[in-house]
Amino acid sequence: MSDSKLSRRDVLKLAGTAAATAIGLRVVKKAHANESAPAGERQWAMVIDQNKCIGCGYCVLACRAHNDVSPDITWNPVLEAGKVGNKNVYLPRPCMHCAKAPCVEVCPVKASYYRSDGIVMMDYDRCIGCRYCEVACPYQARSFNWDSFTANNPAVPEWGDPEVDRRPRGVPEKCSFCYQRIDRGLALGLEPGVDPDATPACVVVCPVGARLFGDLNDPESAVSKALRENPSYRLREDLGTGPRVYYIPAVAEKES
Amino acid sequence: MPKKLRSLITPWSIWLAILGIILLAGLVAGLLVFWKGLVITNLTDLVPWGLWITIDLSSIALSAGAFSLCAGVYLFGLKRYQPIARTATFVGLIGYSMAMLALILDIGRPDRFWHALVYWNEHSLLWEVTMCVMLYLTVLVFESMPIFANFEWLRKRFPKLAHRMKGLHHYAPVLAIIGLGLSSLHQSSLGATYGVIKARPFWFKPEMSVLFMLSAIVGGISMTLFASMLASRLTNKAKVNDALIERVALFVGYLLIGYFYFRVWDALAQTYTYDPGRNEGLHVMTKGPLAFNFWIGEMLLGMIVPTFLLLYKPTRQNPFWRMVGLFLVAAGVVAFRWDTNISGFLVVMPFVPGQAIGYTNYFPSLVEFLSGGAIIAYGLTAFSLGVKYLRVVDHTLIEGEHEKVHVKATETVTI
Repeated sequence: MSDSKLSRRDVLKLAGTAAATAIGLRVVKKAHANESAPAGERQWAMVIDQNKCIGCGYCVLACRAHNDVSPDITWNPVLEAGKVGNKNVYLPRPCMHCAKAPCVEVCPVKASYYRSDGIVMMDYDRCIGCRYCEVACPYQARSFNWDSFTANNPAVPEWGDPEVDRRPRGVPEKCSFCYQRIDRGLALGLEPGVDPDATPACVVVCPVGARLFGDLNDPESAVSKALRENPSYRLREDLGTGPRVYYIPAVAEKES
Repeated sequence: MPKKLRSLITPWSIWLAILGIILLAGLVAGLLVFWKGLVITNLTDLVPWGLWITIDLSSIALSAGAFSLCAGVYLFGLKRYQPIARTATFVGLIGYSMAMLALILDIGRPDRFWHALVYWNEHSLLWEVTMCVMLYLTVLVFESMPIFANFEWLRKRFPKLAHRMKGLHHYAPVLAIIGLGLSSLHQSSLGATYGVIKARPFWFKPEMSVLFMLSAIVGGISMTLFASMLASRLTNKAKVNDALIERVALFVGYLLIGYFYFRVWDALAQTYTYDPGRNEGLHVMTKGPLAFNFWIGEMLLGMIVPTFLLLYKPTRQNPFWRMVGLFLVAAGVVAFRWDTNISGFLVVMPFVPGQAIGYTNYFPSLVEFLSGGAIIAYGLTAFSLGVKYLRVVDHTLIEGEHEKVHVKATETVTI
């Protein structure tokens, strides 16, 4: 066999290298695709105006009632955040629905995943209850079902029913931006953030209008306008998680 | 007491009875966990991983003797240590099955543990660890086959099967390569499981995986040597070659210096980095609730004392002090795992602007202790049975050589 010709072994080697490269590329591509939320046509976001929030906690109750959250768990607590002037400032904390969500990255079974509209969802049937997402979340947005919740939910009024199934014991749960209201609303031709029936319960119930919801891709949506016209910040932006919940910071009222 | 009954009371039966009681108590506790749920533990949303995870991490770390010694014997040609590698393999098999038991207790939906094998998230370190541990446990089962072939009953009842199982020994080098790869992956990835969590600055550092790997090798080899020596002192079923163990103990002593250096650099120098939350973590570990564990458990007894005991010739040559040294190393690695896991949780990072860093606490509940204790008792039972019936610690038992056949390329080979 002359030197210029490829031996069978060389061909096999080359083929092997090519195959390995192809597999490698595939893995890299997949890993890359996994890095942040896919950008769909609509990108839901929430804006919370801390000037307006009075800490009444209606949003907490509405969230409980609509999502059948157990009294041991709060998806959306209203936290005290100091004072501006002599006014108390509050910080309601739903799930941030991060664009690069640590919980999605670490979940071993892809039970946490991105929807194309940016909502970070939980597949409670797939979850194995390892709690790595809870460990990874910088916002303490996840609560584990340490116990099974079988009792009546005191937050649910007699005249209504929760909109989603109760979560089983042994999985962590969190705010879902009331995806069920968004999806049903869109199917009925309603606009989330505008029509109450298509908007997250906490936004609808807020008596002072401190919460806004809408599509970041739509420049005319309430959230886009609010973010254009006001200074805003997000929680722990230094971590690079890219939260979809924006806060308009409270400013001191001018002395009249 | 009748004579017949008295003859039943031997050290062996008392040992088994003690283990049996711990196992029974743990079984009840474990069933309670499955029945009532994790609510009966002291785990919280702020400290979701506790005692069981430490047992899981520690048993995997202390099993690392299996891959490192097998690699030494079958890949780097240190053939005379082969009897120790056999013990290490068996210890590894026990350790990984202990880890599985701890995980089954710990996850919220134990009936769905198999989801990790079906639904892949290649991005998740815990997925990688799960896959590697499953695969490596399979490798360990194959590697242990020649050991199980030593079972007297099996050899008499199924001689052919026993012969086949024994024959698997000839694949030891291949299995050692696979084991080395899988172990390097998951031993370090267990550290990275913590190291990638940017929400918890005390963990978020690149050396986490290196430290986990290094401490696993140090602790794993020590565990195997300690178990061998202890067994040889307690029963004549275990026969050790003391010179062999002493050589490996010296090696452990040198490794300890490296481990000590890295751990000090990691923990006390904080890799020369500062992030909010790091100093608080350091405070928790060096002055707070973990201080005793860190200074005494990890530093003094886990590293400094055994380094001396294993490197100073008179203490190393004395079997008792060598045994103490090896035990301390293994215990120190357990302390490291506990400190690492808990320190990240005890510091609660705020997300509300302007809020101060908080602290929380965790102490395992009785149910956690009982079921965790039973997992350890299971390991001790399995090892004791192995020593008694499978010649797990028997340095006089040498497996057949892997013959090298030197052939010329043109020669026709007939085997």
